[in-house]
Amino acid sequence: MKILIVDDSSTMRRIIINTLSRIGYTDVVEGENGKSGLEKLGQGGVEMIITDWNMPEMDGLEFVKAVRGQNPAIPILMVTTNAAKEDIVEALQAGVNNYVVKPFTPETLKEKIESLLG
Amino acid sequence: MDQSEIDALLAGGGKAPKKPKVAKAAPAPEAVAAPAPVPAPVAPAPQAAPHTDGSGHVIAELDTVTAVTERESNKVMDQLDMISQLVSRQQKLITDMMRHEGAQSPGVQQAIHEVMSAGKEIQDKVFEAMDLMQFQDITRQKLERIVHHLRQIHDYIVDLLGTGLKSDAERASISHTIAQTGTTPDENKAHADSVIEAFKSQKKG
Repeated sequence: MKILIVDDSSTMRRIIINTLSRIGYTDVVEGENGKSGLEKLGQGGVEMIITDWNMPEMDGLEFVKAVRGQNPAIPILMVTTNAAKEDIVEALQAGVNNYVVKPFTPETLKEKIESLLG
Repeated sequence: MDQSEIDALLAGGGKAPKKPKVAKAAPAPEAVAAPAPVPAPVAPAPQAAPHTDGSGHVIAELDTVTAVTERESNKVMDQLDMISQLVSRQQKLITDMMRHEGAQSPGVQQAIHEVMSAGKEIQDKVFEAMDLMQFQDITRQKLERIVHHLRQIHDYIVDLLGTGLKSDAERASISHTIAQTGTTPDENKAHADSVIEAFKSQKKG
C-alpha cells in the first residue's frame, strides 16, 4: 500500500515514516505542502493520504478539498497541532476521514490507519 | 547557531543576533514599535526584499531559529537511525551466535537471551526518542503563532502612525490558537475522538 505523507516539517515526515515502517507500511511518498502533495498524488498509485494542516503555499485544508474534488474515496488522515473543536469539525467537513492531534503516539497513528483501512 | 548563521543574521538584520530573544516575552508593543517607524539601521535590502523593517528582523530571526532546530533535529534523527541499525545488526549477530555449537549450554543461552532482551529495550527507547522529536514541529508552529501576533502588532502600529512598511506577504497557515497545543503525546486524543464521534453521529442522524 502506497501512502502519501504531506507535511512541511521534514522532521515530522521522518517520524511518520518511521512509525509507518514499524507497523508494516514502507511504501511512502512525500510532499512538503498541498501543492507538491497534489503533484505526488497525480503520479498515481497512492492509496492513502496523511496530511498536516498548517503549511505554506497550499495548506492541508485546501489540499483536502482539492483531493476530494477529484477523488472522493481515498482515505485521508489529518495529523496536525490544531486541536480546537471548530478546526476538527472544519477538517471533517472538508472531507478528512479521521484526525490526529500532534504530538501523537505510534499506537494512535496505527489505530487510526487501521480504522481507515478496515 | 553556528558562525555562518550569526553572520547571515548580522548581514540581514544589521543588529547583534543575541539581543531580541522575543519568544518568551509577552509581545510588548515597544519590542516591535521601537524599530518600526524608522528605517532599520542597516537594511541592505535582501534579494526578495521581504524583511526591510524592524518586525522583519524579528521574524527573520524566528525563522532562523526554526530552520536551525529543524536541521539539528534531523541530525539527532540520523544518529537515532544509526543506533537503531547498529542494534539490529547486533541482534542478527547474536542470533547467529546462538546457533553456534559452543553456545548451546543453558548458561550461555540464558546470557544470550538477556543480551537480546537488552537490545530490544534499546531499540524501543530509540523509537521512543524518535517519536519525542515531534516537539520540534510543535515548537515551530508555536513560534509561527508568535510571529503572527508580532506582525499584527506591527501592522497596527504602522496604521496608527501612518508610516512604515506593513508585513510582507503570506506565510504558512497557522492554528487559530496555541492554547490547546499539547506537548504530551496523545493528550488531545480523547477530545479529538469525541468531536469526530459527535460529527459522525450527527451526520448519520
